[in-house]
Amino acid sequence: MTFRTATALTLLASVGLAAPALAEDYKIGVMSAQSGYLTPYDQPSYAGFKYCIDKMNEAGGLAGKYNVVLDVRDTRSDMAESVKVTQEMIDNGAQFIVSSADADPTIAAGQISEPAQIPTMTFAGTAPVLTQVGEYIFGSYPADNQQGTVLADFATEQGFEKVYILKSPDSAYTMGGPEYFAEVFEANGGTVVGESLYSLNQPDFSAIVTTIKNTDPAPDLIVTWAWEPDFPAFIKALRGAGLDTQVMGGDVLDTPTVRGLGDVVAGTYHTSGGFPEEGTPYGDFMKEYEAATGTEPDNNYYVNGCDIAHMIEQAVEAAGTTDPASVRDALANIEDGEGIMSNFTFKGTDRMPLRPVVIAKINADGSKDFVSRGTADPDKLPNP
Amino acid sequence: MTGPSVDLTQLSRRRAADQIGETVLLVALIAGISLAMWLVLGRTGERIATQMCVNVAAVVALSVFTGNSGIVSFGHSAFMAIGAYTAGLLTMPAGLQKMAVPMLPAFIAGHEMSFALALVAVVVVGLVVAFASGLPISRLQGASATIATLGLLIIVHSVLIGAREITRGSQTFYGVPRVTTFWVALGAAIAFAILARMFRESRWGLELRAVRDNESAAEALGINAQRARLVGWTVSGALAAVAGALYGHMLGAFSPHTFYFGLMFAMVAMLIVGGMATVSGAVVGVVVVTMLQDTVRQFEGGFTVAGVEMPSVFGLTTVALSVAILLVIWLRPEGLLGRRELRLPGFGALFRAFGPRAEPAAPVAVRAVAPLDVDGLSRSFAGLKAVDNATFDVPSARVTGLIGPNGAGKSTLVNLLTGQFRADEGRAHFGETDITALSPHTIAKLGLSRTFQNIRLFGNLTVFENVLVAALPHASGRADARARALREIEALDLGGEAGTYADNLPYGARKRLEIARCLAMEPAMILLDEPAAGMNPEETSDLADRLTALTETRGIGLLLIDHDLEFVNRLSSSIVVINRGAVIARGTPEEIRHNDAVIEAYIGRGRKTDNPQGALA
Repeated sequence: MTFRTATALTLLASVGLAAPALAEDYKIGVMSAQSGYLTPYDQPSYAGFKYCIDKMNEAGGLAGKYNVVLDVRDTRSDMAESVKVTQEMIDNGAQFIVSSADADPTIAAGQISEPAQIPTMTFAGTAPVLTQVGEYIFGSYPADNQQGTVLADFATEQGFEKVYILKSPDSAYTMGGPEYFAEVFEANGGTVVGESLYSLNQPDFSAIVTTIKNTDPAPDLIVTWAWEPDFPAFIKALRGAGLDTQVMGGDVLDTPTVRGLGDVVAGTYHTSGGFPEEGTPYGDFMKEYEAATGTEPDNNYYVNGCDIAHMIEQAVEAAGTTDPASVRDALANIEDGEGIMSNFTFKGTDRMPLRPVVIAKINADGSKDFVSRGTADPDKLPNP
Repeated sequence: MTGPSVDLTQLSRRRAADQIGETVLLVALIAGISLAMWLVLGRTGERIATQMCVNVAAVVALSVFTGNSGIVSFGHSAFMAIGAYTAGLLTMPAGLQKMAVPMLPAFIAGHEMSFALALVAVVVVGLVVAFASGLPISRLQGASATIATLGLLIIVHSVLIGAREITRGSQTFYGVPRVTTFWVALGAAIAFAILARMFRESRWGLELRAVRDNESAAEALGINAQRARLVGWTVSGALAAVAGALYGHMLGAFSPHTFYFGLMFAMVAMLIVGGMATVSGAVVGVVVVTMLQDTVRQFEGGFTVAGVEMPSVFGLTTVALSVAILLVIWLRPEGLLGRRELRLPGFGALFRAFGPRAEPAAPVAVRAVAPLDVDGLSRSFAGLKAVDNATFDVPSARVTGLIGPNGAGKSTLVNLLTGQFRADEGRAHFGETDITALSPHTIAKLGLSRTFQNIRLFGNLTVFENVLVAALPHASGRADARARALREIEALDLGGEAGTYADNLPYGARKRLEIARCLAMEPAMILLDEPAAGMNPEETSDLADRLTALTETRGIGLLLIDHDLEFVNRLSSSIVVINRGAVIARGTPEEIRHNDAVIEAYIGRGRKTDNPQGALA
């Protein structure tokens, strides 16, 4: 027996042995950073995703017949590693890829999966630009321009007219969110009375607070997409200087640590992907997840991860096959698909789903109130 | 004192052959491991190897500056970013470019170049940026230089974010063709290793390493330390820009964040693991870290050992890398390879035929006579006059002694004459040239050389390299420098130790090496600062013989500064005595021996009726 025939036989044998399972398997590659700056988003996203995929598998698989096999790989939040694992996942026969929760790794992965025609969806990347890579790249979370639009409409409704913008060029998120807000707010008739730039991890905001204090006309609203630790540092400096101007922010403020800041954050409004009201599917998910895993899913990434499982399931169901091109087409045509955090529409978008955006208000006691839920008007949506 | 007799004519050839052998071994290592990964692991292995080779290029580029200068640079990922963005803009398909960077200025837009052509542009841009940033950075040493490189990284990062029309700001820059294949990366890694090796052994590399080991000694030998750092920085920065272009074309999409601290720390970590001082250290560091990470990565998702299922532990790779760095710093602070290049004993012999043969140069003709003329030099430190209106002259081709009690200002005077310190007042002329305000390396180039009171050798250079690097700035070419170095090694009986690191030499040999190094410059005059300090009588006598021969056969003028009065008296034709910074006597040894002021300065007032000859003998 030559080496070649031996190899061929081995291959045949392995294919033959695996065949019964293969027929119904659906292989999903998952990029998940288990260390580095993406960890706080990738870990809960993956936990929620896996929780719901496991549930679906127990119930007979996606659409009742496709058993999902996960190929999860750590990217360490590193770009070169992201590229490498994407190639490996495609080599290993991934039919769908779920990529890290940021535009950089998703676009890098997309440049590989697009030519390979493997549908790719980001865990929680919100920069609307990421789907420009190609037809196979999808978002899952309400994009920055949707959040900015809904918040701007809300601010105008509340009677605010003069906004001060605080943004950081260090990330697409901290820069883009306030800019989208400003664009819609000005279209609504408001004015931007001032703007400041900050750096990520900037320890001291007193100079910016002084500038805001001396701005004429005085702003009646401050909007920032700052996250931790910049947002706590800023709001403490602002309130410490005696300014009680209304502050509104992005969905990064939806964390227990920001709510725990007490009086200084009381009354702050922020956007969010969803709100776990009692009796809603999201509220039920919170309880069910905590009961099953012992972990409280205290941010939206858990439930959004689960919703990604639902998006894939609905696409596979509609396609009636696991063929990647058919799944892509089905996914891109979903209209008002049913999710737990919120429903989602891909049809008519550039594959960043249109999803309702929640406005929430932080209370001094660390709780948050539901204020409103709205969907961005596609005509107003700023271009990425 | 004489080492085993050595055929010096073979020294250069053997050395060059060893270097070729080391380089061939290094190239074989890179190619062998990369190909083995591909063959054993298939496509996965091919990708790991591609990433590894790009990292080899990047870390080797970093080591060209950091390894040779000893200054850790955090600025090299800035050059990588510049290279990646430049090449990315040039190679990007025009259609995609219109969508990704619609506001791009017309002169950069729509080139759609081949990658090879784009690399040429990257080299040019890299050289320009590195040269410009090197102008201020090369003025700094040690930690302040490192902090300046950190500043460069932060500045470039901010500019990339700010130049939104060109770079898309903090957003992902995408659409870069992914053309860094296995073969491209492997070719680049090999080319970088060879280039780095050539730079290391070149005049620039040797000078930079000499500056690393002892800057003031290097300056005193005529090496312009600032220029040496500037050259190293510029070459290294341009190489890093090319490595960045390769990296960018491997990723296909990146943002300024990709080239920020994360990448920089990873590169520095690989360099530390392998060893900063050598090119093989850089290569081995990357190889070891890559193999470690990719092996550990296989176990992250959980595995089964003898029926026991291990849970998945993410973050294991980071833990493994951290442990590896800790172990290396603890057990081998100089890195896995230490300060020697990777070598196979006897392997270099295969390449003997390629080495240059060099004969020791003929004894030098006497250089143009240039007396040293000191006129009213003064220098104060915080109100204390260390040198006070010193006036004397040192004739050429003779030995002049400079004596004085401890703290008299002898060494300060030498430092004033060789440019280490600036005089407050007065002038010094060497021949026709006013040397008062010249820098040490310019003074050295005029033919005025010096040794140091505490020996200052280049500890991580071999004996031969120590002498060679001194000859290079003054010789007409490399062959001439080699011949000169061999001549001085022969003259000072250092042939047996030619391949030994200067750090490992016994004391007497170090003293001889310092003098050999001086002589390789072919100076007209040498200022010897306490050459006999710490020597036993036998060694002192041997040194005295050698110095006498120098003045006689080569016509070199010597200014001999020493405590050992017998030694000075025996050699000098005239003596200058200083005390508390001022010249108190000048004359022949005989006159000095009977000079009241000298006796008083040395042994105190009221004791001159004792035997002054004995005291000053």
